[in-house]
Amino acid sequence: MQKSYSRLNGYEPGQFKRKLKLLFILVSIALTLIVARLWHLQVLKGDELRQRSENNSVRLRKIQSMRGLILDTRRQVLVANQPSFDLVFIPNRTRDISRTIGKIKALYDERSLTLPPLGSLTGRVKPLLPVVLERNISMEKVAVVETHALELPGVVVEVTPVRRYLNGEMAAQVIGFTGEISREELGQEREEPLTPGDIIGKFGIEKFLDGHLRGKNGAEQIEVNAAGKAVRSLGKIPSATGSNVVLTIDAALQESAWKALDNRPGALAAMDPRNGAVLALVSSPSFNPNLFSGGISFDDWERLANDRRHPMENRSISGQYPPASTYKPIVAAAALEEGLITPETTFYCNGAFQMGDRAFRCWQQKGHGHVNLHRAIVESCDVYFYNLGKMLGVDKIAAYASAFGLGAPLGIDLTREKSGLVPTKQWKLDRLRQPWHMGETISLSIGQGYNLVTPLQLVSMYATLANGGTLYRPRLVKQLESPDGLVVKVYGPEKLGTLPVSDRNIRIINQALWGVVNEKGGTGYILKRKEADVAGKTGTAQVIGLPQDDKARKAKRVSADFRDHALFACSAPHGNPEIAVAVILEHAGHGGAAAAPVARKFIDAYFARTKALQPQPEESEATKAEKIKP
Amino acid sequence: MIKPDRRLITNFDWTLLTLVLLLSGIGLLNIYSAGFSLADFHRAPPYVKQIQWILIGVVGMAVAFFIDYRFLFRHAYFFYGISVILLLVVFTAGYATRGSQRWIAIGGFTFQPSELVKLTVILALTKYFDRRQLGRDYRLRNLFIPFMIVMIPVFFILKQPDLGTGLILVILFVSMVLFVGLDWRSLLVAAAGSLIMSPLFWHFLKPYQKERILTFFSPDRDPLGSGYHIIQSMIAVGSGGIFGKGFLKGSQTQLKFLPEQQTDFVFSVFAEEWGFLGGMILMGMFLSLILWGLKITTHAKDYLGALVAFGITILIFWELFINIGMVLGILPVVGIPLPFLSYGGSSMVVLMTAVGLLMNISVRRFILQS
Repeated sequence: MQKSYSRLNGYEPGQFKRKLKLLFILVSIALTLIVARLWHLQVLKGDELRQRSENNSVRLRKIQSMRGLILDTRRQVLVANQPSFDLVFIPNRTRDISRTIGKIKALYDERSLTLPPLGSLTGRVKPLLPVVLERNISMEKVAVVETHALELPGVVVEVTPVRRYLNGEMAAQVIGFTGEISREELGQEREEPLTPGDIIGKFGIEKFLDGHLRGKNGAEQIEVNAAGKAVRSLGKIPSATGSNVVLTIDAALQESAWKALDNRPGALAAMDPRNGAVLALVSSPSFNPNLFSGGISFDDWERLANDRRHPMENRSISGQYPPASTYKPIVAAAALEEGLITPETTFYCNGAFQMGDRAFRCWQQKGHGHVNLHRAIVESCDVYFYNLGKMLGVDKIAAYASAFGLGAPLGIDLTREKSGLVPTKQWKLDRLRQPWHMGETISLSIGQGYNLVTPLQLVSMYATLANGGTLYRPRLVKQLESPDGLVVKVYGPEKLGTLPVSDRNIRIINQALWGVVNEKGGTGYILKRKEADVAGKTGTAQVIGLPQDDKARKAKRVSADFRDHALFACSAPHGNPEIAVAVILEHAGHGGAAAAPVARKFIDAYFARTKALQPQPEESEATKAEKIKP
Repeated sequence: MIKPDRRLITNFDWTLLTLVLLLSGIGLLNIYSAGFSLADFHRAPPYVKQIQWILIGVVGMAVAFFIDYRFLFRHAYFFYGISVILLLVVFTAGYATRGSQRWIAIGGFTFQPSELVKLTVILALTKYFDRRQLGRDYRLRNLFIPFMIVMIPVFFILKQPDLGTGLILVILFVSMVLFVGLDWRSLLVAAAGSLIMSPLFWHFLKPYQKERILTFFSPDRDPLGSGYHIIQSMIAVGSGGIFGKGFLKGSQTQLKFLPEQQTDFVFSVFAEEWGFLGGMILMGMFLSLILWGLKITTHAKDYLGALVAFGITILIFWELFINIGMVLGILPVVGIPLPFLSYGGSSMVVLMTAVGLLMNISVRRFILQS
């Protein structure tokens, strides 16, 4: 095997044949490897990778639905939508968010605009997940960002609809507000699955009727390029606007009530006794729900959450107060119905009621002398009711109180309605592991003690008396309408029960309630007016057991937090009632002096409005009302 | 110098010309598709430029064809020297794109001397081995000069930095040495030596180069960073399936998910749009080209011709294999163009000229008398 390499020997063609054969095998193996890999990727994994290529380029863009409007009973718009311009950063073209933010700040600074602090956003930046830098920016800022778009890669101004609460704080707790869905809320089961970033109702009607108001988000399949920029639309499911909600609330009355409360802590609830429609429901102090539109700032939230006056609490349904003397009609009805007294039965009031070694005082130190039921209610004689309470016992009173709708939520169209409290012997045993004392029944009979009612329960109770004994579910929603105004659903009156009290006895009590306002010596006499026959009852709820002597009871001396709550509940016009009102003012003192004037302002406003809306009131109604008057 | 010879026409290597023009034509269609939705109106679309390059390449091919290659080799070291000087010019007058300085501008064109070096190194090595035939296998000590011939340009190229071209030159050198014959003991020593040196080599790599190699072993460690190229490339290739998505219909390509889709990753565009069948056909054409090159090597009338034909063929083979291996995720990402298909003038012109040389050798086997 002699190889010839020498140049002198000359080159033999085919000298490299063996090596080339080897090389041929090598090349074949290499190319076979490539073809095998192609087979693996394109044939075996082809479907999977094709799917990935489609996911790569197809994005599902959510089209946020427009929430339905909220209207008052006269179709005045309470909540509308308005566009919000949000500054959004899409970390795709550049993921350097801090540099982008720096640029925006520099651009803002030139025009003395400020970018609110963002916290530690940099850690949260994930590719393709938009980060909202600032919500609801001014047009000036929009102009700045748009004109410098080229220097701000990945920064876009997105337009989203946000809520506009036209009546601001006066109905804030009833209407509520919306917000971005939280992680916990995402976990809850719903008819329609929600996704992060969805806007849902968080509070009030916005929350209670969220399913109707929210509508349905649409989606758009868009093909994007590697820069995340939309190239074309592949298909679109349009979003569906939510239903409009018409409330039973009358915005004008709501405003009157809000003004009458004048930002003092308390609540006013007004209802149509004929059907349970809530006409006004105000809790004071309040907050501006527009702060929540497009996301509340941390500072604003802190301020609201830490406010000692609890502006976010809906006192009208969540506030629980001792009913005090406003409770007396229940005790009276129970005693009449049980046959323990007749309207003529009298008790002697010398200013106190002796029970064992304890004296229960009447608010009137001098005493009322001999009083019958009518006078006892008109002048709010405590001793009279101490006697009734002793005769009835706690469980009888509780049975009647429950029939009036106390002690359980009435089922208004809002969340967080409290049940109040109707104490019984069993309740005390279960709850406090103590037997009932007779003395507690005595306190209870004038609405003190363990008794608690919400303003809504109070107005419902007076509405029930006024309409002759039918307990209606308090309603806030009148009807649902499609976005183009077609009525989808109408909510009618719903009877919850009937009082186990005869018409005659109800009439006797209503007559006495009329006397409270219209007879000399009545505790609500300041409400007497020509325009409307008001029947009502004052109440002064002790917050703590103050020593019952003159000096200490002087409200001025007592620190504000321990002052009595002032209550007033009424209906009008007497005999043919169209409206029932309950007012509670926290720590405001005497019901007749503090709460009754608020109710008076509201009732005046109500009748002024009714008159304005109906220039010629129907004859028949006026005459009917005349007949019933004594 | 140029002797018009009728035999140059009668024995013309039509097969080689057809294969190369077909491949370039496919490359052109592919670049047309890759640059199809490019919304850059200020510059000529890439495929128009590629046509210009192919035409210039054909001129280079003709020149290389008509000049007797033996004349060419008289000046092989001169060409080599020029190309190394051009590499140096890159550092002073060249301009950089994407972080590395590889180009120099000549007139309106930009030129990449490192591509030219591939051919001049083949010429220089061939000339050296032709002159210094030992009559036996080479030992390591005989290989110092050819080693330096390769390592001088490799040094400058790695400085640019351009790992891919440097690597190709080293592989080319090793291939040619093995081809001319290396003593098996020397082979063992060299293999052991490079194994020991490899950690040192790793140390000299740039961070992004290390990243690429790590990414090769697990592309998912940073899918939007260094792994992005290879993942997108594999998605593109795989989504082509058996028949492909069709010309201009590759969504990965058209939506610009593929980086470097006209240059180093051009095969993924092709595979996405033409599928497994298209890939088979393309591989078949490349296999034919390489086999044809090896055939020319076998039938070359002299050592010089055989060696240069081998060098050119093996260059095409390695570039093909490394490039497609990279696109298919079986080799790490290094910047090596796909012969005749990648967009880029330097590679195209140099390869066309090299093919002209192959034809030259192919034809002259009938002309030269031994």
